[in-house]
Amino acid sequence: NPKSDSDLKNELVSLRSTAESGVISFNNDDVSKFITSVSTPRPYSLIIFFDAVHLHGNSQLRLPEFRREFRLVSATFITNNNNESNGTKLFFCEIESTHSEASFRRFAVESLPHISLVSPTTENLTESDQMDGGDFTGLAESMAEFVERQTKLTVCSIQRPPLISKTQIGIIVAIIIISTPILIKKILKGETLLHDHRIWLVGAVFVYFFSVSGTMHNIIREMPMYIKDYEDSSKFVFFIEESEMQLGAEGFFVGFLYTVVGLLLAFVTNVVVRVKKLDEQRMAMLLALSISFWAVRKVVYLDNWKTGYEIYPYWPSSWRG
Amino acid sequence: MAALESPLPGTPTAMRNAFGNVLSVLILVLIGVLAFSIRLFSVIKYESVIHEFDPYFNYRVTQFLSKNGIYEFWNWFDDRTWYPLGRVIGGTVYPGLTLTAGTIWWGLNSLNIPLSVETVCVFTAPVFSAFASWATYLLTKEVKGSGAGLAAAALLAMVPSYISRSVAGSYDNEAVAIFALIFTFYLYIKTLNTGSLFYATLNALAYFYMVCSWGGYTFIINLIPMHVLLCIVTGRYSPRLYIAYAPLVVLGTLLAALVPVVGFNAVLTSEHFASFLVFIIIHVVALVYYIKGILSPKMFKVAVTLVVSIGMVVCFIVVAILVALVASSPTGGWSGRSLSLLDPTYASKYIPIIASVSEHQPPTWPSYFMDINVLAFLVPAGIIACFSPLSDASSFVVLYIVMSVYFSGVMVRLMLVLAPAACIMSGIALSQAFDVFTGSIKYQLGASSNSTDDAEDNTSTNNAPKDDVSAGKTDKGEEIVKERSSKKGKKKEREPADKPSVKAKIKKKALVLPLEASIVALLLLIMLGAFYVIHCVWAAAEAYSAPSIVLTSQSRDGLHVFDDFRESYAWLSHNTDVDDKVASWWDYGYQTTAMANRTVIVDNNTWNNTHIATVGTAMSSPEKAAWEIFNSLDVKYVLVVFGGLIGYPSDDINKFLWMVRIGGGVFPHIKEADYLRDGQYRIDSEATPTMLNSLMYKLSYYRFVETDGKGYDRVRRTEIGKKHFKLTHFEEVFTSHHWMVRLYKLKPPRNRIRGKAKKLKSKTSSGLSSKSAKKNPWV
Repeated sequence: NPKSDSDLKNELVSLRSTAESGVISFNNDDVSKFITSVSTPRPYSLIIFFDAVHLHGNSQLRLPEFRREFRLVSATFITNNNNESNGTKLFFCEIESTHSEASFRRFAVESLPHISLVSPTTENLTESDQMDGGDFTGLAESMAEFVERQTKLTVCSIQRPPLISKTQIGIIVAIIIISTPILIKKILKGETLLHDHRIWLVGAVFVYFFSVSGTMHNIIREMPMYIKDYEDSSKFVFFIEESEMQLGAEGFFVGFLYTVVGLLLAFVTNVVVRVKKLDEQRMAMLLALSISFWAVRKVVYLDNWKTGYEIYPYWPSSWRG
Repeated sequence: MAALESPLPGTPTAMRNAFGNVLSVLILVLIGVLAFSIRLFSVIKYESVIHEFDPYFNYRVTQFLSKNGIYEFWNWFDDRTWYPLGRVIGGTVYPGLTLTAGTIWWGLNSLNIPLSVETVCVFTAPVFSAFASWATYLLTKEVKGSGAGLAAAALLAMVPSYISRSVAGSYDNEAVAIFALIFTFYLYIKTLNTGSLFYATLNALAYFYMVCSWGGYTFIINLIPMHVLLCIVTGRYSPRLYIAYAPLVVLGTLLAALVPVVGFNAVLTSEHFASFLVFIIIHVVALVYYIKGILSPKMFKVAVTLVVSIGMVVCFIVVAILVALVASSPTGGWSGRSLSLLDPTYASKYIPIIASVSEHQPPTWPSYFMDINVLAFLVPAGIIACFSPLSDASSFVVLYIVMSVYFSGVMVRLMLVLAPAACIMSGIALSQAFDVFTGSIKYQLGASSNSTDDAEDNTSTNNAPKDDVSAGKTDKGEEIVKERSSKKGKKKEREPADKPSVKAKIKKKALVLPLEASIVALLLLIMLGAFYVIHCVWAAAEAYSAPSIVLTSQSRDGLHVFDDFRESYAWLSHNTDVDDKVASWWDYGYQTTAMANRTVIVDNNTWNNTHIATVGTAMSSPEKAAWEIFNSLDVKYVLVVFGGLIGYPSDDINKFLWMVRIGGGVFPHIKEADYLRDGQYRIDSEATPTMLNSLMYKLSYYRFVETDGKGYDRVRRTEIGKKHFKLTHFEEVFTSHHWMVRLYKLKPPRNRIRGKAKKLKSKTSSGLSSKSAKKNPWV
């Protein structure tokens, strides 16, 4: 039994209320359910953001940024259209390519970023209104302008949340004022955590691990920890082959390999040296050397796989013959 | 000192010390030779030429300095660049590099060694990399002794990250700045260890040299205050810390303000505020400690409350003033690059020029493997070694590695600052590891023989390092010991309890490892070092030796050389008038002024965004509009770099998106969307009409179809869209052998344009029309 228009609308409202920033995640079935199977005119419009996680690392496309701005527009629209009539006329959706390749084809999505508006009267999805490439330059404001132009609905001005709210600022200031004398007293007595060398040691090693993992690259490029395999969606891909980018899990794994060798070397030279029994020393050293050797070999292999770099030993010409 | 300590000159200890010192000096000399030699691949494989882009400007400045002297250098206004704006050179360059090379050139010529300016410039970087190795030795020696110092120096001589900025021919600021950075840190630690005002003064002078050399000096004036604050917070304040810090801030800031390119930025920009805040804090702490020494405990509490309260009030006032200053500036007083470090996403959001530079990108993990290689594995061991035991000097080095590794994670160029820290840490780790493993082997071999004489030798061997240390600094060592004992006395009773147990442990058993495991570990470490050497030589020979002005490719017939750049600059130099203006994208500005000796519109000193946007707009516009822009700038020639024939990817078509974005950022009628098809820049049959009509497309692909009949672009890997077209406002005058550089001349205006121009001029003011009449030679 085809659902009635009001049922579909209520379902969309329900989905929106549980979605982050009110952006509903669509897949192929949802496209069929809410768009192609519903006779025109539909009681609502849909604006759809097409996402591709495996392209988040491409800094020229700036997909994570546009996605963030899209959610901002959605949240603003919901806030400013909280009444019954306008709030249910437009819904913000997103489709991710790994889940919904068929939908990409139905909308004729050939390049990203891509935003489509499905109006109540749209029948052929390839003819849905598309946000012009130039409109992307202004981000949320341009998206809002596009929405208002196409749907006649009002989004109002974009409200960007402050990094820290006023209340939080007040609390922080109060905490600082109250705790400063106490902190000074503790510092003078030498009783704080800061006086413990182990805290600094762990912190230093952690910052090192954090940095050589390429974590700043992951943050700046908004790389996911892993992606799904194109051919088999049940498998996960943790390493990507492009030398100019990396996934989060990949970075942490290699960062761990970088760090563990040094830690084991320090363990041997500072701790194992104090062990009394020779057999225990041999066992510990064997373990440390094996793990270190494996870690170095692993990094060399991964680097070769990723960048093609190989060891090029130089031999005198007379030896080569 | 050795003679004083051991009255018998023939004793084994004295002989060993003397031999050790001689051996250290010899090793350091060899390390210097290594650092210099490994950077000569570019000279051997190509020839002695300046590399890349920026170094050509530095070379030209050095030429001017050597000809005209230092006062003309300070006052130099260069009208051959950024036409018609020009550029004040003396006040906008970091003079350290050019003054250094100029002094070397002057000194050599005074000795009747007639080296050319270019030769001196080419070899300045390798020479200073040797100096940097020696500075690294001095720095690490202050932290952990000679062994670690030598290891760190050897590692720094070869570290690829540093090689990349200091090969022969890479005449850029980093060539001397890295040496200045390391030397400044050495003098700071030396002052910290000795409490000597002499070294504090040298520290300020070294900082001054660093300020003269590189904008990265802000790293020093932020790192050292952090270390001072760290020492205070962890209860390690001492008068030596005050002597190390206070003169540096006062003298260093005064000296920094003397450098024209810095000037009052030394006291006005946020990069320097941390040092002033810590300056206040250290005075408050010093006052508290002083009062503590002269007052009774009860009076001390009252006084501390008073002093700390006043100190806090002063700090708040200063913070309020600083916040007001920061708030009045749109960027918060920080430079664009510093903001990119504090907010990693800042550059891509707001400053396309910064984001467009490849060395401002965040690195991935393979970058660490490439640039510091096996040091990435050893650094954690070095960090832990610095904590056993933690001293003021070793805490500084830990802070240095932590800050530099974090910053290197944000901007790949700052791998250059990380490299010395990684070498120091790895040197410390290697030195400690070798001490443990070789000591174990020696002990085990000695134990197996069960000989009394061997036992005695082992005992003396164990004492040798201590003797070396004490021999090196008898008086200072005693002072340090006294200070340490006084500190320990102040601390609680726990330590006296700990001491006997530690001693007992030491007596019970020597700290050794099994013989065979130690040998295997040593061999693995040596293999790791060998891997490092091979990688560094490969990096120096293959990855970083290319001058970029001369390109090569390997083929079956051997090495093939593409010398189109120099070919084209030579053409400009010989076939155009000295006062002709050349327009190009800013990448080629320095080379054009230095090699062709022609005036350019924009160059690599990207200080005027509007001017760059004007050139970007012209390149993005149709032919007629572009002609009018260039004509208004008195441009006579346009230079375009095109890699489509041979597959050179760093050409102007691949940089075109930045011309559109930067141009469109200032001139709204340039819209990026007009050049995009499905979100991509395309030059094939699917390209947009705006793209196919843009000046950049036309100048790149003019007559290109004649090369193979199809117009296949080897970089974009597609056939071009519009193959047969004519130029109406520009005339091709030169195309280099491999079509990499193409030069076009602006055609004189046609009669109808002259008529239109006259009509247009009548609408403008008379002043403007008279100016244009003077400027435009074609009317």
